[in-house]
Amino acid sequence: MKKPTAANANPRPTRAARDRAPSGKIHPVIIYPFKHAGHFEDLESLYQMVARLAADKSRYARPLTVVDRKTHYQLERDQAFERFRNQVMAKHSDIIDAWCVDTCQMWYTGLGRAFESGGENDIYWLIPGDFNYGTAVGQEVLGRLHDLPEIIEELDQDLCIGEIATDHNNSKQHIDTYGTFALLYNWFPDEAQEIRQFTERPRSEFFAIRHGFLREVLTHRWYPYEQTVVMLLLAVLNKKRISRFDVGHISDLPTGRDLLPSAMQQVERTERVVKSLWRERHHTNPDWLSQYRHLEVQSDQVRRTALGILQNLLA
Amino acid sequence: MSSYGYQKTLRAINFICNAPQAQAVSLVGDFNNWNPSSHPMKQMPDRSWLVTIELKHGHHRYAFLVDGVLTLDPRAQGITRNDKNERVSLVPVS
Repeated sequence: MKKPTAANANPRPTRAARDRAPSGKIHPVIIYPFKHAGHFEDLESLYQMVARLAADKSRYARPLTVVDRKTHYQLERDQAFERFRNQVMAKHSDIIDAWCVDTCQMWYTGLGRAFESGGENDIYWLIPGDFNYGTAVGQEVLGRLHDLPEIIEELDQDLCIGEIATDHNNSKQHIDTYGTFALLYNWFPDEAQEIRQFTERPRSEFFAIRHGFLREVLTHRWYPYEQTVVMLLLAVLNKKRISRFDVGHISDLPTGRDLLPSAMQQVERTERVVKSLWRERHHTNPDWLSQYRHLEVQSDQVRRTALGILQNLLA
Repeated sequence: MSSYGYQKTLRAINFICNAPQAQAVSLVGDFNNWNPSSHPMKQMPDRSWLVTIELKHGHHRYAFLVDGVLTLDPRAQGITRNDKNERVSLVPVS
């Protein structure tokens, strides 16, 4: 089928979205890369888009950029960073400096701040900063990201996941195939099947979320990692409306790529998160502990197998 | 809205369904109220099925009806559910 998507990075809202009653605003939340890439080409491209969002005040709330304090202190003597921060980031967005244990806590900080200034019909749009937006395909992806909040708005959805295209040998793909989904099938088999009907990237960092559902996930226990998995599980468990949209071929920057220790950590974190969530939802059942012990034994086998496979593929 | 303005909001979109053995294929979606008879598709020499329709800007839900069976478009850019809670495809028109 012909794909009539924009070929440039101009996030012009579709006419249908513009024509819809302007009842809510879209809140862009940008997550500044934890590790610096050594250049600003990708961030320059990203903030060209952010500048256009900031200029469209009738449609977009003032964008927010979350910067981890550790990143700040690593770069505090970097004049190029200071210049970029002061002349670009601060010009087009409000900067939130926060101490965060991980990226998901940066999301919590940014989405939480945006939520507090938002209203019932608003939509929140998470934009990770550590991708190669400066490349040709990155530009194309920047031109598609605006579809995520627009799908929420036009099709009355609660959560829209942006899916990046990767080849089968990509480490993210391996982690999700042998780790994330295997663990989900153990702890939440029905919900995992539903999630996989929508996306192969249950840990995607690209998403948009409606105000009401964001309220639910913000006030639910927020995990410091693998929060997209939790949001997808909560969406399925609570019968929310989910969409998936392909944002294109883009990869995170080399500093953020998943080597074996990182891949192992991500699988271990996912196991911890889904175990915790399972306990939260079942601990009031009379026989929950025996069920839990049984699933835990299986989960241990799943995790060990996943780590063995990842070792073979990534080491 | 003037007719000129209205025309400017429409884009011709090709929908292609690869179902060489099918007897009948149609396109259903929000744009035709999921009516199976609104947009029958034509079988091409390569045995794939084609229909071209004009859609207004925005995001549209659709699916192929292949011999009466609702079928996702494997090349669609997105997936969502329709009002009957069936999984359907998503096309953006910008």
